[in-house]
Amino acid sequence: MSKATLDGAPIAIEDAYQHAAKILGGAKFPVVAGLATDAAGARAAILLAERLRGAYDHLASDQIFNDLDVTRSFGMFITTPAEARARADVVLLVGPGLTEHWPALFERLALGEPARFNDAAPRKILWLGPKRNEAKVEGVEIETIAATPQALPGLLLAIRARVGGRPITLNGAAAKKIDAYAATLKAARFGAVVWSASAIDGLTVEALQGLVTDLNANTRFTGVPIGARGGASGVVQVGGWMTGFPPRTGFGRGYPEHDPWRFDARRLVDSGEADAALWISAHGGEAPAWTRDDVPLITLAPAGAGAARGLYIEVGRPGETHDAVELAQETSSFVLRRATAPSEAPSVAEVIHAISARFSEDVPC
Amino acid sequence: MKPFLFALRQEPSQRHDLSRLTPDRLVGRTQKEIEAIDIGTTKVDAKVGDLFKVRVGDPQVVHFEGGSERFDLLGAKLLPGFAIHVEGDVGARLGRGAQGGTITIAGDAGAFAASGMTGGQIDIGGDCGDFLGAPMAGEIFGMAGGRVVVGGNVGQRAGDRLRRGLIIIEGDAGADLGARAIAGTIIALGATTGRIGYLNKRASLVLAQGGDFGPTYVDCGAHHFTFARLFSRALAEDSRRASRLLSQKLRRFAGDTGVLGKGEILTPV
Repeated sequence: MSKATLDGAPIAIEDAYQHAAKILGGAKFPVVAGLATDAAGARAAILLAERLRGAYDHLASDQIFNDLDVTRSFGMFITTPAEARARADVVLLVGPGLTEHWPALFERLALGEPARFNDAAPRKILWLGPKRNEAKVEGVEIETIAATPQALPGLLLAIRARVGGRPITLNGAAAKKIDAYAATLKAARFGAVVWSASAIDGLTVEALQGLVTDLNANTRFTGVPIGARGGASGVVQVGGWMTGFPPRTGFGRGYPEHDPWRFDARRLVDSGEADAALWISAHGGEAPAWTRDDVPLITLAPAGAGAARGLYIEVGRPGETHDAVELAQETSSFVLRRATAPSEAPSVAEVIHAISARFSEDVPC
Repeated sequence: MKPFLFALRQEPSQRHDLSRLTPDRLVGRTQKEIEAIDIGTTKVDAKVGDLFKVRVGDPQVVHFEGGSERFDLLGAKLLPGFAIHVEGDVGARLGRGAQGGTITIAGDAGAFAASGMTGGQIDIGGDCGDFLGAPMAGEIFGMAGGRVVVGGNVGQRAGDRLRRGLIIIEGDAGADLGARAIAGTIIALGATTGRIGYLNKRASLVLAQGGDFGPTYVDCGAHHFTFARLFSRALAEDSRRASRLLSQKLRRFAGDTGVLGKGEILTPV
């Protein structure tokens, strides 16, 4: 049976649904935030935001926009991990912590094995700016260039400059290494860059995609992005097919308006523009990023992540306690993940449906 | 004739879209019609009359007595020949897509000021938020003409994807000034932080304080630039300090060689 608490004290689940409906239904501009859930949960949450004429945002929106802003204002070459695995003879990894953001990275891209369509020649693996000891992987030879997170964007552009034969101010061993990287990239028959928008910012992603664009003038080069946490890539797709927009979209005027600045949930709550918040973090039970604590808050999070303040309703973990459809990093497509440890805890979608069923009649559908 | 006046009655409880209150859109309207204009952005109704005391006057010049950081899109798509003055703060997207005219703000401005502006003049007396002159989500370029002078500090990413026009920042600039700039000129008289002119294609950045511009800005030496002196004279009216900066001997760094390498950063020797 599901559990619920109000300001830390247990309350009956029926009362919790009723209370949540009262908070959200009475709000002038509620925000549905966090949104770390599966496809069904995102669908229910966005529908709820629309019905309440509020806004929706995802907890990893900053990381989402690091990639999405490049896609929509510059352009982006991407492919599936399977394609990179089969064809890439040169793989450039960019940024620290890639194996934390995608633990199956080396195995899925088979970086230790030759590409399938490259006459058994070994793959060349380059890594710009790994964490200390991160690039020491058994059975994989990696040429690294060390870079602090501050120096990485500049070094990446230096590589791009050398690929285009333009001057840079580095000299000596550093310049030699950059030139060697540029030569390897240009000699690729089918190259792939791998990055995580959780490790590098949007401008760096744009610089990287610019490098890929330049390389495509003479060879084939593409990218494999590592999606952000909290089911971000799936939620972006769901938002896209429901409203035409990714997270940070509002329905205040009755139609969806997308504005990454205006509908940032943290800003909405901290500025007092939102007068109620539904916070969803079904994977990790993260806490909201805003600092204000006088805005009525409803938290949907898994067991153990109970909120001391406001209303908390326990939900299951997608793909763990209940079956869930999510966008999978390993296939770049929606997949059904069967529950690994089924439990009675309701899904985010079930809880939102239960709350929605208790709105008074005057909340429009 | 007295200017058109909007006097603030009360602090707004939600963000307001003031794009419908530009002078050209007020011409020929009665006070009653103007008071009934919807400026709300949530399900709570908000009309001009709820928020402002309106006094009809010469629509060429519109005055706002009292502002708020929740007043968005003020002076959006402003046309040449019209003027707006705000005695107070304004919110996001000030002068968004303005095609001409003048906007003066006595207080601070929010994010995305001068976004998509193609002409006209904006003067902000106080500070300005992030993304001054930057494109909105999904747009290919930002500010594409006109002139902006900010008396105070600006936030991050000022001059992002600047296409044409002039931005003068008299205070300090936040991180990543002039990133992805395509062309145009940015003059920063205070301190700068983070990457400067990252992915800059052809824009000119003039900085009062030098710094480390990374491996893709190549030193071209110090020179007396003829054009800078000419430009300096033209700037005298907009900003005396900017004018003085450009009259000096300047060191030129060409870049960003990661992209085209046809842009530059100029700093005094």
